[in-house]
Amino acid sequence: MNRLEQRIGEVLHVGTFLSSLLFAAGLVMTLVGFRTELSQILLATALVVLIATPPARVVVSVIEYVRERDWVFVALTLVVLLALAGSVAAAYF
Amino acid sequence: MNLLTPTLAAIIFGAGAAAGALGVALGLGGGIFLVPFLTLALGFPLKTAAAISLCTVIATSSAVSARRAGNQLINLRLGMVLETATTIGSLLGGITAQYLAESTLQRLFGLVAIAVALVMLGRINRRNVMTDPNADPGRLGGRFHEDESGGVVTYRIKRLPLALTASFIAGNVSSLLGIGGGIIKVPVLNAWCGVPLRAAAATSALMIGVTATGGAIIYYGHGDLRPLLAAPAVLGVQAGSWAGTRLTEQTSVKWLKLLMASLLVVVALLMFVRSMR
Repeated sequence: MNRLEQRIGEVLHVGTFLSSLLFAAGLVMTLVGFRTELSQILLATALVVLIATPPARVVVSVIEYVRERDWVFVALTLVVLLALAGSVAAAYF
Repeated sequence: MNLLTPTLAAIIFGAGAAAGALGVALGLGGGIFLVPFLTLALGFPLKTAAAISLCTVIATSSAVSARRAGNQLINLRLGMVLETATTIGSLLGGITAQYLAESTLQRLFGLVAIAVALVMLGRINRRNVMTDPNADPGRLGGRFHEDESGGVVTYRIKRLPLALTASFIAGNVSSLLGIGGGIIKVPVLNAWCGVPLRAAAATSALMIGVTATGGAIIYYGHGDLRPLLAAPAVLGVQAGSWAGTRLTEQTSVKWLKLLMASLLVVVALLMFVRSMR
């Protein structure tokens, strides 16, 4: 297995596991009546982790392509990150 | 809608599980079933439903790709190239969604549902095409070991501009309607761009995560994405796709496709009726 694929697999695995865990904790707390600040924070963090996982995978790819000096793919993955940054900008105007 | 009752949570979880299981069986993300359920059965606005569905798309993409990483089916290089088009598409789609009326979005969903049904029926007997194992895969092509035939499949990418265009449209539709967009990319990659079906599906599954992220961020910023509603949907889809992987059986897929195509036509009609009001 190539190194990049392995790193990507790890990032996705951790992101999926962590966000599911936080979603489950926040949801169960809310449903049993503990709709507290903590449960809200857990749910919000779960969402952030979920949404941040694919971009994190792209960041890992950029780093790996820089290491391999594959500049074409460094540029391509940076375009993807730039488009996502555009979404963040579009979300708040 | 700020109060999530245990009943509503259970219904959303169940819908997510069903969509996830069907998605795995049909090679789709499941959003195409989840969005109409949330809008037509639970009365959520389409934007809320799309935002929740995008979260499940991200979760499915990450979970499935994490499991597949290393088996060579995912074509990383092709994926990275096409992602430039899907993410720009999803950025534009997400901005457009903010300006479109609910009824316009419903009609658009209806049209896409019909298109998906037609694609599903048209490809009902589709099988993988073997290519010459000694061929040079080129810069973007790939090579993977196929279990069924025991051989190595090598493929080259043809018509890259077409693949990029399809990816751009898929990204647009993903953000606008809350689906992954694999239903647009996979048939194009497979039929015209030389990518074997399983590699196209695996590569698309990786791409839809980052594509859906673009849309989800925009919905979140505009207050259409509530973490409390996303939670049962995401957990449901995870459970459903996990179960679906275990249940998938080749023989029943053909009937399942027929059934789902009919269901999608009904969904489309309901969406059109709803948009008239």
